[in-house]
Amino acid sequence: MKPGEFAKGALMRLCQVTGDRRHRRRLAELGFVPGAVLSVLNRGMHGGLVLALGDGRVAVDALTAATLVVEPAGE
Amino acid sequence: MNERPLAKALLTKPCCEDDTPGNVSAGDPRVALVGNPNVGKSTLFNVLTGARQRVGNWPGKTVSVAQGTWRSPHGDITLIDLPGTYSLLPGSPDEALTRDLLVDRGMDGRPDLVVITVDAANLARNLYLLAQVMETGVPLVIALTMVDIAKSRGIRIDAGRLAELVDAPVVPLVPRRGEGVDELARVIGEALAAPRRPAVPVLGADLEAALASVTAEVPDDVAGRYPARWLSIALLAGETVPGVPEETTAAARALGAALSTDDELDDPELVIAEQRYAWVHEVIADVVTRNGAGRATWSDRTDQVLTSRWFGPPIFLGVMWAVFVLTTTVAEPLMTGLQGFFDGPVATGAGRLLDAMGAGDAIRGLVMNGLISGVGQVLSFVPLMAIMFVLLSVLEDSGYLARAAFVVDRLMRLIGLPGRAFLPLIVGFGCNVPALAGTRILSDRRHRLLTGLLIPFVTCSARLTVYVLVATAFFGSAAGTVVFAMYVLSIALVIGMGLLLRGTLFRGMAEEPLVLDLPPYRLPAVRVIGAQTWVKLQAFLKTASGIIVATVTLVWLLSSIPFGGHGSFGRTPIEHSVFGAASHAVAPAFAPAGFGDWHASAALITGFVAKEAVVSTMAQTYSMSEPADGHEPNGLGAALRGTIEQTSRGHPIPAVLAFLVFLLAYTPCMTTVAAQRTEIGGRLTLFGIGMQLTLAWLLAVAVFQVGSLFL
Repeated sequence: MKPGEFAKGALMRLCQVTGDRRHRRRLAELGFVPGAVLSVLNRGMHGGLVLALGDGRVAVDALTAATLVVEPAGE
Repeated sequence: MNERPLAKALLTKPCCEDDTPGNVSAGDPRVALVGNPNVGKSTLFNVLTGARQRVGNWPGKTVSVAQGTWRSPHGDITLIDLPGTYSLLPGSPDEALTRDLLVDRGMDGRPDLVVITVDAANLARNLYLLAQVMETGVPLVIALTMVDIAKSRGIRIDAGRLAELVDAPVVPLVPRRGEGVDELARVIGEALAAPRRPAVPVLGADLEAALASVTAEVPDDVAGRYPARWLSIALLAGETVPGVPEETTAAARALGAALSTDDELDDPELVIAEQRYAWVHEVIADVVTRNGAGRATWSDRTDQVLTSRWFGPPIFLGVMWAVFVLTTTVAEPLMTGLQGFFDGPVATGAGRLLDAMGAGDAIRGLVMNGLISGVGQVLSFVPLMAIMFVLLSVLEDSGYLARAAFVVDRLMRLIGLPGRAFLPLIVGFGCNVPALAGTRILSDRRHRLLTGLLIPFVTCSARLTVYVLVATAFFGSAAGTVVFAMYVLSIALVIGMGLLLRGTLFRGMAEEPLVLDLPPYRLPAVRVIGAQTWVKLQAFLKTASGIIVATVTLVWLLSSIPFGGHGSFGRTPIEHSVFGAASHAVAPAFAPAGFGDWHASAALITGFVAKEAVVSTMAQTYSMSEPADGHEPNGLGAALRGTIEQTSRGHPIPAVLAFLVFLLAYTPCMTTVAAQRTEIGGRLTLFGIGMQLTLAWLLAVAVFQVGSLFL
């Protein structure tokens, strides 16, 4: 599943990041590693998302959001 | 494969080619500030160094770095404020500096100590960078910032336990309030006196075994040059390190590949990153306790509004409007006042003084029309630049800029620039000079250069006065439409040139997907903004004053020197001066555009110095060549009309449109050139001037030639 398919505030677990190596590395450094728990805080224009990742807040565009493969995570 | 060039020279001079003497003495211990962006690193730097800082280019790079002297109770310390980074595997030139200093320059070039700022309110991502810095083995002190924000969110950090795990001192502080700074000074003093390596993050059994094998294979002479742990990790991740035999590199790479699971998206770099995060979460589990975690923070609630798809864009436009108003309406009277002060009291005073000294006309002209007028022009920009620098700091430090970049990202992508580039371009409509300074908000150098080249095509308010005069004279009640069309054309030029440059000079500029860290909203600290503004203003004055005073003086000199035996120095009509002769000589170049007349070219030449001077030059050239009493209130417009009707051979409308288009597209003013030199360097500035002149001429000729078929 993609983060955009989740309701605001619903918890999801990151399974994988797709895209080129540099992109995956960049996201990994920011904490987007398999197992990380995310939630959507807000939806911007054109599919952009504001994500909560631990204590951090990260804004991503639709393109980046689509590279995040996630699954629902229990409360 | 990554191949990272190693800096050949050791870091004999700590930083900054721009080596102004005075502040930093070579023998002081060197301490580098390292940390994620937006975690209070620069605030700490400003609090510690005050105004004893300067900004210069990193040796061999175009990234500027602030360096300053900290008068600590334990003696002077040279502080280097490295750009914020998330990792030692850099993604941008700014970020590369940290790695350059800690790794690539070799063991001898490293700073004596690293102070790493760690955001207590967002520990995980900050500990990731800490893990990497620990791997380099450099002695370090952890400055635990944002403890106030963490506390307000119910996050408590056991600093003592963290210090044990990392085996390095940890000092909690709130830099903007100066809390913890004395303790930091004491700890740094101790750490410098008895440097020791921090602990090494343990990265899981498989990875540790692989690292041990790689370390055993590295020849001793290479191992001594780099931090051992870092070197092994780099080789395992597939990097090529100069000096390491090919077979060792290949063997390490094979070991790294074996670490990956069967997933094709997995590679050793990611396995290492995952293991570092595993270490990070172990540390967090050990040192963090939370009360009431999970509740929405004030910052999150603000984001619900500011980044929402409905409220985000109008609020963004409102903020941009405020920036625009502050850099135009508010700055304007201050600029006029300062200019008036120089043209009035200062000029009068200097005139009297020169008279008393019995100075000749030449000296008098040089001082009054060259020096005072030039310095006046530079200084009149000071309030505007100060306002701009303060606004930039407030937007950046409050955390809003990151949100603005998110809101407008898609729109700016059209010309291949990130959302943040919107701000300098909008400011450009007021004045191009602060707009160029505003390109500093872009972290990628190529984005800064491209934006810096596009800004002169944004029509500034100085150009507006000329549009209004010319359009009123030729178009009467339709003047408003013509002026509006100039603004539309300006936007079209920015987009068109943006696309053209992206397809040519900036081809291959990576289209970065947007991944933007949103720092919590904060009230900016007045003291820090003051210090930052002062440092930036000094840099502007230093670069701009020379160019502007020289140009203003040159134009005065050329218009004072008689040409062809008419009059004497300073007493020649402008038409018969060298300046007039040059205007005559240039005029034929504009014949294909329908305004090949010396009055027009003279105005355009001084317009190169300042667009404000275009109207006054027109007045000057006409009043000198026509009887003064022949001018009605609108005489200037009428005189220009008469000239253009002659030169355009019966097509005055396309000719005057061509004149306006040329005015829009060519070099805005000398101050812009000076600011461009500061921001994008001399070579690109020259290229930019060439591009502006060529484009302006081509467009003007096209407008006249096509227009005269119809009008």
